[in-house]
Amino acid sequence: MILQTLALQPMHGYGIAQRLEQVTGGAVGVSPGSLFPALYRLEHRGWLRGKWGESESGRRARFYALTPAGRRQLGVEKENWDRVALAIHRIVEGSRG
Amino acid sequence: MRLLAQLGSSLRFLFRRRAVERQIDEELRAHAAHRAEDLVRRGVDPAEAERRALAELGLVGQVKEDIRDALPAAMRIDGWTKDVRYALRRMRAAPGFTAVAALTLALGIGGTSAIFTVVKAVLLEPMPYRDPGRLVLLWNEFPGQGVLRAPGSGFELAEIRRQTQSLDAVAGIWGGNGTILGEGDPEHVKVGFVTGNFFPVLGADPLLGRTLAPDDEGDGRAGAVVLSHGLWRRKFGADPNVIGRTVRFDGTTATVVGVMPPDFRMLFPPDAQVPTEILAWIPFQQDIAAQPKNLHYLRYVARLRPGATVAEANDDVAAIGRRLSDEFTEFGGDHIGLRAVAMHADAVHEIRPALLALFGGVALVLLIACVNVANLLLARGSARRKEMALRAAVGASRGRLLRQLLLESLLLAAAGGALGLVLGAICLDRLAALAPLGVLPPAPLALDRGVVAFAALVTLVAGVAFGIAPALDASRVNVADVLKSAAGNTSTMGRRGRAALVVAEVALSFVLLVGAGLMIRTFVAVQGVDPGLRADGALTFEINLPFGRYRGDDARSTFVRTFVERLRALPGVTAVGGVSHLPFDDYPNWYSPYAPVGTSDERRRTLMADHRAATPDYLRAVGATLVRGRFYDELDEAAGRAVVVIDEKLAAEAWPGEDPVGKMIECEHIARGNFQPEQAQVVGVVRHVFSHRLTHQVRGQIYIPYPRSARNHLSFVMRTGGDPLLLVGAVRGETAKLDKELALAKVRPLSDYLDRAARPARFTMVLGTIFGGLALALAAIGLYGVIATSVSQRSREMGVRLALGAAPRRLLRQVLGEGMALTLAGLALGALGALAATRLLGALLFGVSPVDPATYLVAAAVLPVAALLASWLPARRAARGNPMDALRAE
Repeated sequence: MILQTLALQPMHGYGIAQRLEQVTGGAVGVSPGSLFPALYRLEHRGWLRGKWGESESGRRARFYALTPAGRRQLGVEKENWDRVALAIHRIVEGSRG
Repeated sequence: MRLLAQLGSSLRFLFRRRAVERQIDEELRAHAAHRAEDLVRRGVDPAEAERRALAELGLVGQVKEDIRDALPAAMRIDGWTKDVRYALRRMRAAPGFTAVAALTLALGIGGTSAIFTVVKAVLLEPMPYRDPGRLVLLWNEFPGQGVLRAPGSGFELAEIRRQTQSLDAVAGIWGGNGTILGEGDPEHVKVGFVTGNFFPVLGADPLLGRTLAPDDEGDGRAGAVVLSHGLWRRKFGADPNVIGRTVRFDGTTATVVGVMPPDFRMLFPPDAQVPTEILAWIPFQQDIAAQPKNLHYLRYVARLRPGATVAEANDDVAAIGRRLSDEFTEFGGDHIGLRAVAMHADAVHEIRPALLALFGGVALVLLIACVNVANLLLARGSARRKEMALRAAVGASRGRLLRQLLLESLLLAAAGGALGLVLGAICLDRLAALAPLGVLPPAPLALDRGVVAFAALVTLVAGVAFGIAPALDASRVNVADVLKSAAGNTSTMGRRGRAALVVAEVALSFVLLVGAGLMIRTFVAVQGVDPGLRADGALTFEINLPFGRYRGDDARSTFVRTFVERLRALPGVTAVGGVSHLPFDDYPNWYSPYAPVGTSDERRRTLMADHRAATPDYLRAVGATLVRGRFYDELDEAAGRAVVVIDEKLAAEAWPGEDPVGKMIECEHIARGNFQPEQAQVVGVVRHVFSHRLTHQVRGQIYIPYPRSARNHLSFVMRTGGDPLLLVGAVRGETAKLDKELALAKVRPLSDYLDRAARPARFTMVLGTIFGGLALALAAIGLYGVIATSVSQRSREMGVRLALGAAPRRLLRQVLGEGMALTLAGLALGALGALAATRLLGALLFGVSPVDPATYLVAAAVLPVAALLASWLPARRAARGNPMDALRAE
């Protein structure tokens, strides 16, 4: 999800959290306690790169951008997700029918 | 590619740990600020916004910890320090447990370190000579007479040097005495009489000047002397210009040519009778190759030729021995054998079994200590299951818990190790005081870097060894189970594991107890030996009549007769005697072939006896028991009669079933400096006086009147009714009146010699008993721990049973029975272990069999008693428990 969020543009941590909340309509609330460890894990895997920059409000913040490897990984993850989503959909459908 | 990126990232983290830490901090702060701004925008009061932003961030520390967990291992050092801090907190929180565990370990590690220090100094460290691995000792053997480690002769030395294929050089030494006149009083010192090449062969360099050279040795050479560091400092005030000074030595003069460094010592086996602390080395002043061929006194040390092995040298000298035996009739048909042995191994061959046994014993104590701490940890692990479950529930992985627990045990081990080193240092002093003479190097033993490294290794291994099982057990938690069940704070593995550990502990203790028991019985047996003399109330000392001033047998005899008379006249003295060889002295022994007159040549070869030159009252003064006949007396002496007194051992050997008094014997005496055969009449028989070891009678003994063997070296025994040391002043006064330049040495009670002889047995007995006692105590503590926790964990069950009317006695019996079952299992295992282990003790035992039933029975009785005591307290608690308390506590 983080990768997807960053596919459009680099963002800082708080921005990512806000965006995730917006996109999912508040269904997914991201606490800093899980967001930052995830960001660092992704950065360590080489899928993200963090850079210090100025936020819209003029604060120093760390902006995360997808690396090419991250973009490739996003493709893989999407495919996986689609497969899982499809499976869940089928199960749900199946149980209904 | 990704791997590279990760590696790069890891390295970046590794090298920029601080920067990364700062970055995380800053980022989290920025996050909070953004959130606050956002909230303000939504109309929240700024102060409230800030509070909420921070609150949402949660425990900043926890977030950071989680981030770190996402980072490569290198980044997690902070996690480690945190774990260490946490572990230290846990240790402080349970000071009783920590103290008991650390002390237990300290006992094990301290004892092991102390014994290891001795083992290292004596057995492991190379001898302080150049290329010591190439040094060999050569021994003569006379298999017919049962003598396997005899010294050699000057003639033989020359032959070995001439014929050897495998030895670079062969040197000889004889440990004697001499009187040195330097500054202050004359001093009687131990002197090494050596061949000129002794120092080069041994591979030792001087501190000052030079050592001896081959041309210092021989007839008519100007006397040269090399001083030990100690003598140089004491007698010559550490004078740096001492080289070239003339000193008076034994009535002649010698020039100081060199001083040896402080750590230079003689490291020969005890039976070579080359004392460790020789104070001066003097080259032989005569052509030793021309001495009588049967004069065996030289201790050989040789250096292997490059490439030659000890085995080759042994074959080589054995062949030389055979040739000598065949070619020279002077050996009187004695089939001489020669063999070569590695010097270091030979020097420690007597003490080695004792040291190894003690090391094994202390290692067992350490093992028991580890088992005990493992036991304590398991018990605590059970009690900590809730804590572990809680940590697991909030997301700690099993690895993380394991790491935490292992870290705790390692820290515990480290505390024990540090404490152990302190204990070890203390033990070492005691050990040095207790050790048999000549076992420990005179240099103070220190816990040096090697020992500390050893202790650290032991600590590490111990920490992991006792920590791993409890850690595995405690970290294997099923969160739901534990948190749900109020009573679920036991783990079956914990209980069964602990039972197994206690069984192991009891078994190991049994082995140690049996070992200690055997040592005690050995010591008692040694103490029970009738040494054939009366040790109390007798003073001894020795003198060395300077060759230069007491030339000739008559001069020496006259002096000795007068001296004895003067001493005898001192108040309180009941008997005074002089003897060439005191029992248990380190002065080189005098033993020679003897034969009853008229014995066949065949039989003659097998008879060997210790010869002692003694003044008439010596046997009375030393407290020997006359069995038959009489002592020889002043009249025999005055008449110059060839008479001897023999001991029972020799009597039984030479004239089995006959009365030896009046029989003639061929033995040896010394006339004009040479050993001469003579025929003498036996006038009396005394009980054997133990002289070499308390554990067996080595050879029969022949006492010859002093004038017939008037040696320069003589020891005196003075019997008195009171404290022998009170005589010392008077003795010194009388000596000075007769000869101002005569020095007394080794002034000590006769009982000292017996104490020294009993010291090896005492040493192993005391240490063995300490180890056995420790083992017993640790096993009892371990058992108590197991039973106590088992009782407290089942307090509800007990409470219910009491409430339902079970008799308290039944509960008591059940708990005691539980302890007994473990103990008996341990005993059975231990008995097997002891049977295997004590077989290794064989060489150390005396008067007791390694499978001595009494010892086994006592050990088997002591352990259950200790176990009963250990389980009594918890058992009573179980039986006396108020059922309501137990139920309410749930």
